[in-house]
Amino acid sequence: MPLASDGPRPLDLDKLFAARLHAARARPYLATALFALHPVESRWVPTMAVDRHWRCYVSPAFVDRTPVEELAGVWVHEVSHLLRDHHGRSERVARERELRGPGERLRMNIAADCEINDDAFGDGLVQPEGAVTPGFLGLQPGELMEDYLRQFRLGPYTQNLAWLDCGSGADGREREWDLGPDGAHGLSEQERDAVRFRVAQGISGRRGSAPAGWRRWAEEAFHPPQPWRELLGAAVRSAASGPGAGEDYSYGRPSRRSAGVPGAVLPSLRRRPPQVSVVIDTSASVSDAELGSAILEVAAISRAVGGRRDMVTVVPCDAAADIAYPLCRGEGIPLLGGGGTDLRAGFTRALRARPRPDVIVALTDGQTPWPSTRPPCRTVVGLFPRSPSSYDEDDAEYIPDSPPAWARVVEIGSGPGRFAVNVV
Amino acid sequence: MPACTPLALVDTPSDPFVSHSAPAPRTSQLDVAADLLTLLRHSTTEPRPDDQLEALTLAVAADLPVLLWGEPGIGKTAALTQLAEALDLPLTTVIASVHEPSDFSGLPIVGDDPAEQGVPMAPPDWAVRLVRAGRGLLFLDELSTAPPAVQAALLRLVLERRIGALTLPPGVRIVAAANPRGSAADGWELSPPLANRFVHLQWTHDHEVVVRGLGGTWPRATLPRLDPAKLAGAVEFARRAVCGLLAARPKLVHQLPSSEARRGGAWPSPRSWEMTLTLIAFATAAGSSRDVLSLLVRGTVGDGPGLELLASLDRMDLPDPETLLADPAGAVLPERGDLRQAVLDGVVAAVRTRPDRSRWDAAWALLVRALETGAPDLVVVPATTLASLRQEDWDVPASIEKLAGVVTLSRRADHAADRAAARSAVAAKAGR
Repeated sequence: MPLASDGPRPLDLDKLFAARLHAARARPYLATALFALHPVESRWVPTMAVDRHWRCYVSPAFVDRTPVEELAGVWVHEVSHLLRDHHGRSERVARERELRGPGERLRMNIAADCEINDDAFGDGLVQPEGAVTPGFLGLQPGELMEDYLRQFRLGPYTQNLAWLDCGSGADGREREWDLGPDGAHGLSEQERDAVRFRVAQGISGRRGSAPAGWRRWAEEAFHPPQPWRELLGAAVRSAASGPGAGEDYSYGRPSRRSAGVPGAVLPSLRRRPPQVSVVIDTSASVSDAELGSAILEVAAISRAVGGRRDMVTVVPCDAAADIAYPLCRGEGIPLLGGGGTDLRAGFTRALRARPRPDVIVALTDGQTPWPSTRPPCRTVVGLFPRSPSSYDEDDAEYIPDSPPAWARVVEIGSGPGRFAVNVV
Repeated sequence: MPACTPLALVDTPSDPFVSHSAPAPRTSQLDVAADLLTLLRHSTTEPRPDDQLEALTLAVAADLPVLLWGEPGIGKTAALTQLAEALDLPLTTVIASVHEPSDFSGLPIVGDDPAEQGVPMAPPDWAVRLVRAGRGLLFLDELSTAPPAVQAALLRLVLERRIGALTLPPGVRIVAAANPRGSAADGWELSPPLANRFVHLQWTHDHEVVVRGLGGTWPRATLPRLDPAKLAGAVEFARRAVCGLLAARPKLVHQLPSSEARRGGAWPSPRSWEMTLTLIAFATAAGSSRDVLSLLVRGTVGDGPGLELLASLDRMDLPDPETLLADPAGAVLPERGDLRQAVLDGVVAAVRTRPDRSRWDAAWALLVRALETGAPDLVVVPATTLASLRQEDWDVPASIEKLAGVVTLSRRADHAADRAAARSAVAAKAGR
């Protein structure tokens, strides 16, 4: 970008701060973060850019030629990169997918911009000129940077985006203008977390005023949902290897060490593979693909804890449950059904089996009556979220019964948290 | 050592290379191999700050049970070796998964008359040596791959410090390590009461450190030293920090983890808050950074309450509104914008709770000072609120003229808001 023709002009700080004030008024939940940013005048940056230490580099020429209301939008845009930890996530993505070079970093910057811009503007805030939106690239709004990154390449569309540069705070690549970790007015990692935490708390505390994208961020920023496979695995494992099942010490036979301690009775390690019953809700609301992956997961886990394939029983259940199938015939299990579900029938059927199951895993969407008393074995509930978007607020009047307290509940289908930083 | 077997075979006379060489070489193949190994093992160290090792050191020094969560093979043992060196303690490593429960609860030794004398539970040799030495670092590795009964026996060892009939002396410090739930092959899971007794530290590897280390230079962490002069102040600070937060947020005192995702991790209870208090005192006495403290606090009471505590520590560092009001001319305001605004808001709130003329004037003087030393947009909200506190017989102070720029700035933002509204109205019309 060419500088103003009449030589370099000083940075118009009043204009820049008026814009920040407007931004903080339009987005009060971001005010803490906006005020924590430290502006640094820089003639290297094309427009405005941030680094990971929460400094905001500003081009005087850009401030000169941009109206206050658009500058406010740029402030919000830049602070969003930092709040959403785009630099950390870019680094992670670069390492995981082995993406190298400035071109890939430019793609990360564009993908991060798409994540921010699809719901950042409007409602008192003007979209700055040249802001990249998912629509501009022909993509769907509402996705995360990591997802956008898979969906476009650099090409004719992105040709005139090559000047786009939100700094190392957006894509993790150090810039020549960066002041670095030792420069003045940087925020330490803990301070950055503290600011992000306060913003997240402000958003969760004032439900309804922030757009869905920010509410989701606030929910996940410090409590990322864990991958359901791991959670289900941990729940089934601990249920299947508790006392009475799995591998443990028993006094049923003397220990091989007993010879060394005459007269004493030592326990020995014995393995009793766990018997697992999977009760499946076959009502229409659960998709076959979800069910299939959940069943495979349960089978794999029970094998890992020492069970055999024939020790996993599957009980399909809608309003009634008549038959239990061993999993070795798994491919042919008819998962037909539909209409109402009554999981109580499934539990009764599973408990009638001989030998009795050590663990019951119920896979359901939760739209069902639950047994009123605790079954005589450990219970894990894999719960499929009812609505496709759990943030759908139109569906607020219907609240299904939640699973009973004696069951361990794992929500299936929520992806791994990608906003999180420092929470391993 | 299985890796030596092929090399040993090379040395036998049946090997063609060795049997045909006429003068027997003075150095055998094994010696050459030893030379090569020496070269490979030769590495230097460089000083490098290591937050997780510093956090571990402080927790161990504070004699709190630490649980390191980390994938196998990422250098937990190496870190423990370094820690033992730094604390000058002999290191004893016990691999939990190859032991039986009786190794930790004691082996029953039947004597002549069990009914009369009872059956003593004999401890294993390493425990006897530890007790005899009176001091040491006991590292219980691979806790998560041991069968449940062994885990139960080990937890008793960690928490009650008893092995069979022996009690570990206070000079022995214990650290345990476990694999994260997702990768543990067996049913390892801490119940919430047990999880509450540990400081949970996530152990991760740093890509750069590994690459540089394999290249021959490993990091050498400078470990914290407790400063005897700071002890009393550290305790006072820690008590003020924890009590201040819990007095304001009673709900944080006890929160049993409810969701499946948070099981087995740190959660707040009076017990873990007491541990937090201890750790704050240790970190303060050692002069550790907030980043280290953050690892410790979040590993003790969990992320949410931990972050709230850290945020309130940041607030504790802010100047007291009453001090500022007493001497507005000498006031030093924080540089960071969000903190500066928090201070100014605090000052205005203090005037509101006890309004009188001189305090109101002092607050205006502070706002002028804030305007002269920092960004003007931070002053807008406090100035508006302060103006609304004016009582009828109070004259407007002369210094208020210096705040004219703030009014201009505020108007400029208002105009921008109007234009933004107009533009979106036009856009909406064009869109339909």
